[in-house]
Amino acid sequence: MSKKIRQEFADQMLKLGSKDKSMVVLVGDISHGILQPFAKKNKDRYYNVGICEQSIVNMAAGLSKVGLNPIVHTIAPFITERAYEQIKLDFGYQKQNINLITVGGSFDYSKLGCSHHCYTDVSLISHLKNSNIVIPGSTKEFEVLFKKIYKKKSINYFRLPEYPHGVTFSEKEIVFGRGIKIKKGSDVTIAVTGTMLKNVLEADGILKKKGISLEILYFHTIKPFDYNLVKKSVSKTKCLLSVEELSSHDGIYNQCLKSIVGINNVKNHQLAVHDFIHGYGSYDEICKTAGLSVNDILKNIKKLLNKKK
Amino acid sequence: MGAVNKDLRKRIAKIIIKAREGHIPSSFSIVDIINFLYKNILSFQKKNPNWEKRDYFVLSKGHGCAALYVVLEKFGLLKKKDLDNYSTSNGILGGHPDSTKVPFVEASTGSLGHGFPTATGIALGLKIKNKKNKVIVLLGDGECHEGSIWESANIANNLKLGNICAVIDWNGSAAQLMPQDDLANKWKAFGWNVFIANGHDDNSLKKIFKKINFKINGKPSVILAKTTKGKGVSFIEGHGKWHHKIPNIEEQNYLFEELK
Repeated sequence: MSKKIRQEFADQMLKLGSKDKSMVVLVGDISHGILQPFAKKNKDRYYNVGICEQSIVNMAAGLSKVGLNPIVHTIAPFITERAYEQIKLDFGYQKQNINLITVGGSFDYSKLGCSHHCYTDVSLISHLKNSNIVIPGSTKEFEVLFKKIYKKKSINYFRLPEYPHGVTFSEKEIVFGRGIKIKKGSDVTIAVTGTMLKNVLEADGILKKKGISLEILYFHTIKPFDYNLVKKSVSKTKCLLSVEELSSHDGIYNQCLKSIVGINNVKNHQLAVHDFIHGYGSYDEICKTAGLSVNDILKNIKKLLNKKK
Repeated sequence: MGAVNKDLRKRIAKIIIKAREGHIPSSFSIVDIINFLYKNILSFQKKNPNWEKRDYFVLSKGHGCAALYVVLEKFGLLKKKDLDNYSTSNGILGGHPDSTKVPFVEASTGSLGHGFPTATGIALGLKIKNKKNKVIVLLGDGECHEGSIWESANIANNLKLGNICAVIDWNGSAAQLMPQDDLANKWKAFGWNVFIANGHDDNSLKKIFKKINFKINGKPSVILAKTTKGKGVSFIEGHGKWHHKIPNIEEQNYLFEELK
């Protein structure tokens, strides 16, 4: 089994955090076990604060105020939705710095139900002026992008997917704020983020055999967004499908639309989460419920190509 | 009540009446405490608000900020011009304090239940850095309704943040909403050193502060400062309609007459 992205986070804390004495890790009783190597080595800079999301955010602001670099780690809905006002006022309004590392975005906790799902985190954080948003879909992406921005005096939001997308990028390919063109193509531009890349690549394998050529653009950085990459691609294909586990009201589709303003006759469609997803099951089963399965991608590409004719 | 604090109250009333914005009774409730802290307890450097050795003061009940502004002005930490421009587009001071604009304001507050956990984080940061600066946070007894207060009370005790002292403006706001009158027992149960003082009496506060050592590895302390909302002007004292009301001309005359 490949290494979990969350494990990479723990490893980076040990590596970077043991050297950089300004880093203070606050966790809301999550990943406590895997962070023990860091905790044991840096006893005065590791705190399992418990189940109190509001305080953990305010406390991080206090740490930032005295020149430390808080790394706050807990479950996405509990911190970004429950403690949004704290994040907004301390880090958006007062411009303190924080590295906010979450797990359990979208339906990664697929068997635990709606209370543990979170589709709005990326949108919520994006409203804050000095925020950066990263969804590292592989361990390498986390390593490169965290190292790149963790010292920035801003809100550095990292949403760690439970399931890596399975593609290995070289360090050179991973640039903060830039998308990655996974594959050159001519018929449809696919904009994708997070674990969804896996389903997109599976769909691509099927379509290739039918002579349909996808240009696949992958985004690990949602803010700042690489508008140019989408613009160039859609100028050529005139056809766009976005695939994301984020809220349909405000995810990468909106960024893509901003990118293609001024390009005429573009056929486009969004695959995203439109509402709560009730029910339980495996990650792949919830993908089906949400309309984000490989079949859904195939079906919608077909529809777009028909419109294009 | 001494003449000095009458002057502070007059100044509070003047800026609020001019701007037609502000919370007079809440400011009157805490102005003696803030004045006492700047006079006797807090270390600061007039010309360097970010002095590394300063003590941190966080006004968690941000709506009482007019009291903070007039004290900062008294100690030369804000200019007369700043207060004259209170709540105008030309100024840096408004109905809740803005840490990005106002020197000596360590945290922008306004939404209750934020300042206290932030002060807890400051205290933890100072402890990590082995710094001896004091952290003093002033909050309302009504504010103690917020869950985040008790989250952080528990954290500060567990992390042995003896460098923090909370002062509760115990003016009975909570009692007329959802009473939690046994505040002393509640804070004791959360592991804090609990003291009770008269929040309008410097000597009473002085006696209590002598007992607090601010050691970075000790028990946190809380002072339940008994106060009167609107203290100093009889018809404003107490709870109810005056909370966010601006006096009319006739009321202003009575108000300034009482503060003579």
